Amino acid sequence: MYDSIVSVDALSVELGGNPVLRDLDLTVAPGEIVAVVGPNGSGKSTLLRCVAGLQPPTSGDVRVFGRPPADDARFWGSVALLGDEPAWYPGLTAREHLELMGAVHAQARMTVDAALELFALEERADAPPLNLSTGQRQRLSLAATLLRPSTLLLLDEPERGLDTAFRAALAGLLDEYAGEGGTVLMATHDQDLAAIGRQVSPSGVSA
Amino acid sequence: MRTVRAYLRSRGRLPASLMDRYVSVFSLLMLIAVAGQPLSGMFAGLAVPADPARMGAGVALLALTLAGFLAAARAAGPVLLPGADASWLLLSPLNRRHLLGRTARVLLGVAVVAGALLGIGLLAVLGAPDQHVWRVLGALVVGVSAAVGGMALAVLGQASQSWRFWLTGAVAVLLVLAVVAVTGRLRTVLAIAASAPLPAVTAAAAGAALLSGLLVRQAWTSLDRIPTRALMAASTRAGHVAGAAVSLDPGALTWIAEDNHWRARKLGSRRWPSLPAPFALAWQDWRRLGRRPGRLAAMAATAALPAVLAQAGGSPAALGVAVLAGALAVAAMSTSGTRRDADNPALSRLAGVGLRPALAARAALPALLSGTWAALALAGVTLTATAPWAGAGHSLAAGGLLAGGSAWWLFGPLAAPALAAGALRMARRDPIDHSMPVLDTPGGAIPTGPLFWAATGPDLALLGTLPAAAALASAPADLTSFLVAQGVASVLVLAGYLWRARAGGGKAR
Repeated sequence: MYDSIVSVDALSVELGGNPVLRDLDLTVAPGEIVAVVGPNGSGKSTLLRCVAGLQPPTSGDVRVFGRPPADDARFWGSVALLGDEPAWYPGLTAREHLELMGAVHAQARMTVDAALELFALEERADAPPLNLSTGQRQRLSLAATLLRPSTLLLLDEPERGLDTAFRAALAGLLDEYAGEGGTVLMATHDQDLAAIGRQVSPSGVSA
Repeated sequence: MRTVRAYLRSRGRLPASLMDRYVSVFSLLMLIAVAGQPLSGMFAGLAVPADPARMGAGVALLALTLAGFLAAARAAGPVLLPGADASWLLLSPLNRRHLLGRTARVLLGVAVVAGALLGIGLLAVLGAPDQHVWRVLGALVVGVSAAVGGMALAVLGQASQSWRFWLTGAVAVLLVLAVVAVTGRLRTVLAIAASAPLPAVTAAAAGAALLSGLLVRQAWTSLDRIPTRALMAASTRAGHVAGAAVSLDPGALTWIAEDNHWRARKLGSRRWPSLPAPFALAWQDWRRLGRRPGRLAAMAATAALPAVLAQAGGSPAALGVAVLAGALAVAAMSTSGTRRDADNPALSRLAGVGLRPALAARAALPALLSGTWAALALAGVTLTATAPWAGAGHSLAAGGLLAGGSAWWLFGPLAAPALAAGALRMARRDPIDHSMPVLDTPGGAIPTGPLFWAATGPDLALLGTLPAAAALASAPADLTSFLVAQGVASVLVLAGYLWRARAGGGKAR
């Protein structure tokens, strides 16, 4: 067993000769919600990509569940990542994307009907995702991410395109997820969303 | 309009210098000198009576080619403008016919070249038993008239809905003609056409030219009436085509078409079947295919093309290429999930299914489709060779297949795993690497990036279907050893591909 879900030690990343992250230390405990905050270009998304194993660090060490992150089925079986909008599968409706996500995981966290209701997508369930509005597509992405079982949630600006009311509902959903023992690491510009967890800035702990 | 064009020219590239014109004329003369001898040889070779038993299949192929030409013209627009002209000039009060005149001339040039090729094809099918020069001219006039008239019809179809109906009717008639011709019912008509006296040939050519001329005149006057939204849509589509073909990835084109197709559809959600995780992920391609029955039917119909080719006298090598390339194309049409995950793996990461199990499950549909298609195609070729209406006219290739017995269709299912591996490799290839070197050859510069891109996928399919290719090329009497070798090669290629598959970029995806 491990004491921390995510452990980042002296992480530095340079992109095209530009230092994006410098000597960053971060530890995320099981069941904790951590919000990475800061202005555009401060390295929030880069940090998340390093934790997801999608960006190799220039120096330093990143460990998730006690080992370096790897882009393989074992890692993604425990980690759910929400970044930019995914490329939706052609020929499937919004509901079928959620059905697919439920079918490939043995123990889904909620039923498809419950997810559609929770994310206010019932009326648009039969629409291809590309026919949904930007906010609805973001809700569908969030529904797919939260429907599947996971131990660690990595969310890059989950509030993108969402209306104010749903941002508040999302905060509640993430709280509930953490209450079930899940860990959340998210990059966000939304102050209310960030307030539900411990806030860190890539340049140093801010709160 | 002239003033605007002159202004744009003055701001654009430099006008052609005397040296540029000299190089153009010199290249043209060189081309005539180099191609003149083979061309005259080819026409002399065509100056013989044609084989009546092959005429039906030949006419069917010509009808399908013309139908494809018309369908492509309709899909392209065909009247379109460069992106900048569409944005700036189309919405200005300039004379619309003058603005579109340059495009119209380009379309005419394309149609004339396509028509000349069609005319040569017509000559090859009907032959020239006497009066060679006049029959060559007659075939060329009929071919060019058909293509130019077809292009004019496509332009008219862009301007009005009623002409669009006529264009659809013309394509449908050509498809029916192809089906009727391939069944041999037109044999008498074609025999009469092939031996028609010169006045009849002249009358047919003159009639075709007159009809084509009338359509062109009508199309020219209709340029003013093409709705701006139709021109904008065609120009935007052409911009996407040019952008995708030149700078990005031809695969981007298919996504544009695919996404537009589903955006316009009303779908009904259905329950996802309870399957093991990799198969549940792969089910997306099955469901997508089930929602496009028209595409499935078209796919099945194209399985008859190799039989038509064999009947028209195609060589064994051409027949082999048609069967294997057709089966690979069918397999590649059912790998959309793999392609999407290779382009953007966000959903596959959320699904959390291992790469190898996912690829293995996703190989099932392309293997089933390509195996069935190849089996149908090969069965069609052998059946055509034995059909009573084929008579003694079946080709060398079909005759060779006949010698091998009726087991040829087994190559379909046995080659299927290798074809599926090739299709998956195509689906997962990287975008074109434009940084790869350009080879300078006497025939011009050849960029190696697009070449390597195009070969990724077909290379693996070819490797895995070598026994079938060898059998199709040599047409042996006993197929057993070739069938066993094909089964082993297929399994080895698919297993090897799955074993070497790895996530992320790299050439060996």
